[in-house]
Amino acid sequence: MTLRLTINGRESLAPDDPMTPLVDLLRERFHLTGAKPVCREGFCGACLVMIDGEPTLSCLTPGGLAEGRDIRTIEGLSPAGRLNPVQNALEAHDAVQCGMCFPGMVMTLTHALRRNAAPSREELRHALTGNTCRCTGYERILDAALSAAGALQGGEP
Amino acid sequence: MSEISTVDPSAAVMDLKRRDARDKLTGRTRYTMDRAGAGMLHAAVLRSPLAAGRIRRLDTSRAAALTGVHAIVTADDAPGLVGIGIADHPLFARDVVRYIGEPLAAVAAERPEDAAAALAAIEIEIEPLPAVITMADALAEGAQLVHPGWQDYEVLFEGGRREGNVAWEATAIRGDVDAAFARPDAVIVENTFRVGRQNHLAFEPRAVVAHYEDGRFHIETSTQVPWTVRNATARVLGVPASEVRVTVPPVGGGFGLKFDMAIEPFAALLARASGRTVRLVNSREEEMLTCLCRENAEIRIRSAVTRAGEILGREAVVLMDCGAYGGEQIFLTTMTAHTLGGNYRVGASRLVSRAIYTHTAPNGAFRACNGVYNTFALERHTDEIAQAIGMDPLAFRYRNVLGDGDLGATGQRYEGEVLRPMLERMDTLRGIPTAATRMADGRLYGRATTVGTWFVFTGPSAATVNMNADGSATLVTSGVEIGSGSMMTGLPQIVAATLGIRPEDVVVRQADTDAAGFDVGVGGGRTTVSLGAASLAAAGEVRGKLLRVAADMLDADPEHLTIREGRIEVAGSNGPGLSIAEVASRAQTLLGPIAGTGGFTSKGTPAMSGCAAGHFIDALDIPVFAVHDCEVAVDPDTGHVEMLAYRVVQDVGRALNPRAILGQIQGGVVQGMGYALQEEVTIGSEGNILQTGFETYRVPLAPDVVPVEVSLYEGAPSLGPLGIKGAGEVPILNVGASVACAVANAIGRPVHELPLTPPHVAALMLGRRSAPVLPHIAGRWTDNLVKKA
Repeated sequence: MTLRLTINGRESLAPDDPMTPLVDLLRERFHLTGAKPVCREGFCGACLVMIDGEPTLSCLTPGGLAEGRDIRTIEGLSPAGRLNPVQNALEAHDAVQCGMCFPGMVMTLTHALRRNAAPSREELRHALTGNTCRCTGYERILDAALSAAGALQGGEP
Repeated sequence: MSEISTVDPSAAVMDLKRRDARDKLTGRTRYTMDRAGAGMLHAAVLRSPLAAGRIRRLDTSRAAALTGVHAIVTADDAPGLVGIGIADHPLFARDVVRYIGEPLAAVAAERPEDAAAALAAIEIEIEPLPAVITMADALAEGAQLVHPGWQDYEVLFEGGRREGNVAWEATAIRGDVDAAFARPDAVIVENTFRVGRQNHLAFEPRAVVAHYEDGRFHIETSTQVPWTVRNATARVLGVPASEVRVTVPPVGGGFGLKFDMAIEPFAALLARASGRTVRLVNSREEEMLTCLCRENAEIRIRSAVTRAGEILGREAVVLMDCGAYGGEQIFLTTMTAHTLGGNYRVGASRLVSRAIYTHTAPNGAFRACNGVYNTFALERHTDEIAQAIGMDPLAFRYRNVLGDGDLGATGQRYEGEVLRPMLERMDTLRGIPTAATRMADGRLYGRATTVGTWFVFTGPSAATVNMNADGSATLVTSGVEIGSGSMMTGLPQIVAATLGIRPEDVVVRQADTDAAGFDVGVGGGRTTVSLGAASLAAAGEVRGKLLRVAADMLDADPEHLTIREGRIEVAGSNGPGLSIAEVASRAQTLLGPIAGTGGFTSKGTPAMSGCAAGHFIDALDIPVFAVHDCEVAVDPDTGHVEMLAYRVVQDVGRALNPRAILGQIQGGVVQGMGYALQEEVTIGSEGNILQTGFETYRVPLAPDVVPVEVSLYEGAPSLGPLGIKGAGEVPILNVGASVACAVANAIGRPVHELPLTPPHVAALMLGRRSAPVLPHIAGRWTDNLVKKA
């Protein structure tokens, strides 16, 4: 069976079983390795991608259920090598350490700041409940996200 | 001092942004697990379902005949034994299995599902044997030996006593302890402590991509120790080490997990057997099952103190579970003398730490190995001493912390007055403690200040700096970027300051054992110190050469030249000058390209003769101290502990990149908070680790944490380059201690075990849980030692 997927705005074909987890299709079939299958249980958030604008756990999504929907990975979140305001702020705040959780962190925070232009620190804290980070202790990620608040309203990405 | 030999340390200090952040934020970084090669095969490992048993049959013939299967390797392909101190560890179980998860065979196949099918088709029969799961089991009279042939193993490091299930024993004895305990004015305080294992939960699992080309192995792997992987792989495979090349892509978290050879030899063997590139990535379940955890430990500590607060004598027994093989724990027995034996001035002391074999997954290194639980035990014990003699715990610490000239447990003489001014700094940071015991919402309030002693793991490092004609420099080392930023910021800062160029103009070569000299690895707070010192020396040689060429070009004395901001100029205003690129380019044409090399190793700081036995490090080259302060609220109904505030004063020598250090402290404290409050590895009666993933092993999340308030304490003596000390490892050191002391103060009951999960704290408050009873630790200290042959 061939899956027809729209990934980062490009139509792509995958000759795979529809039950193949989306994260494996992205990584092994399309070489988009930004999404990380860290826990495969839905708890760590490192495999998050946007599906129709909603952060979605690609490890728990069968590829077949992603057909006909807009899949956006970290590689395609902002145009060619540019950083979106969240990514910019994370870089400026020196928030990144090993980096494995950040593709998922960026998805969650980008979505949270699109929905709420002026979140409190506590609201952002709770928004990150599904994103584990083992290196940073989170506070700098929150600092960065707060500084990016307001920059994502209305526009793309 | 001439300009040639002196680098202004302040030129290296800056809040430098990481060069690798952008790719990590856009998903472009290729960690080992993300790598793939043309025609790559997928590997998988068959693991033992039993903790102890005799292998009766292992037949791979049917599996080998399956479609898509290219190679299967077993113990026959890996003859060697490896280890630290004792060579007790085969790559595959041979004749017997010693833990659940021990490798039996490895396969390489076209697709992951083919490899999984092949594992299922391997026929095995294992006859169960009695297993020793706990250290109490292992030390019981007549216990099953995990290694009946322990006496036959090659000893790689002399000095440790061994016997049966005691894999290694290290002692530190100084002064007359019996006399101290016999003093009529001595108050005796004794405690027992127990802690479980901690899983690193590094996000990138252990992963490897192996190739076999031109008669040599090329291993790309997620490791902190490329040279260990090179040498240990060669040893287990029985090939010359020169036939193994190890390179290391960016590593997705280490924390000590990757401070040993891991799954590299499986992929290497399969690549050689199949003639194809082979990738092996541990599943999360395998990572949970075979994590080289921070070891579980059991401790008895006993002290004799006067009513005035003088510590006359101290003795302790520390049992460290090494699991089925000795591994890092053999080495880590050394650390008890410097952690449990640290912090305080003690009249006389005797300490023994013993690594115990059990039929469980081997343990390993984890950030501030050994120190985290020994500091917990020591600081809780200290609070109980203060209570026993009616002295304020902070006043007791002011009175007794190590100061200039004080002796450590191995007779090392500490230099400089560091901990006392750090306590004063903490008093300033914290302000006057509140006397509150109950909060407005009914929760119990507790606070505590603790101290900790750690060190920088020095040892050999090598660096080469190549000066390029365009004014950039290339730094070649075997250092690995594991996430701390030391390789991406710290080392370029040191090289750049030496050469008068910008850190971004220092290219950092990825670790490659074919390109750079030997290195002990990235861990133990050593990167910026050991690799930094080697890099400083290498860059210093380049600087000298540049200045001599420039002196010729400018017709000046090299001593009168300055080198900074990309230029070499004659000192003084409006002196003539040249760009460094011009000088480097001229040198290349006249003399050949400019390069420099540097090396570093431990200084071998002396201990008192005869104190330490079985120690890999008798004294600390670079001690590092920490003072932590913690405030908690405990829910009296549920036992839930909330951290309210956390403060750290950390001895950093010189803060090379303050912003990077602050990031390490926040991260390290939160990891320690997980250890203190929630991270729990439990082992079932069959020897199985019960936590299988993120759902069952819970680490702190954003809603659990607080911003740590930090004061960096600079100026303490350090042998490190430019006066620096390692700063990334120590932040976790006394978190368990601080949280435990604060919780004990909040609930008004002593704490003797971690983690302090809500059921644990609730049981303490209800008086249903008391200090652990450890009958396998003898009451008389000397009865705990392996008898001299």
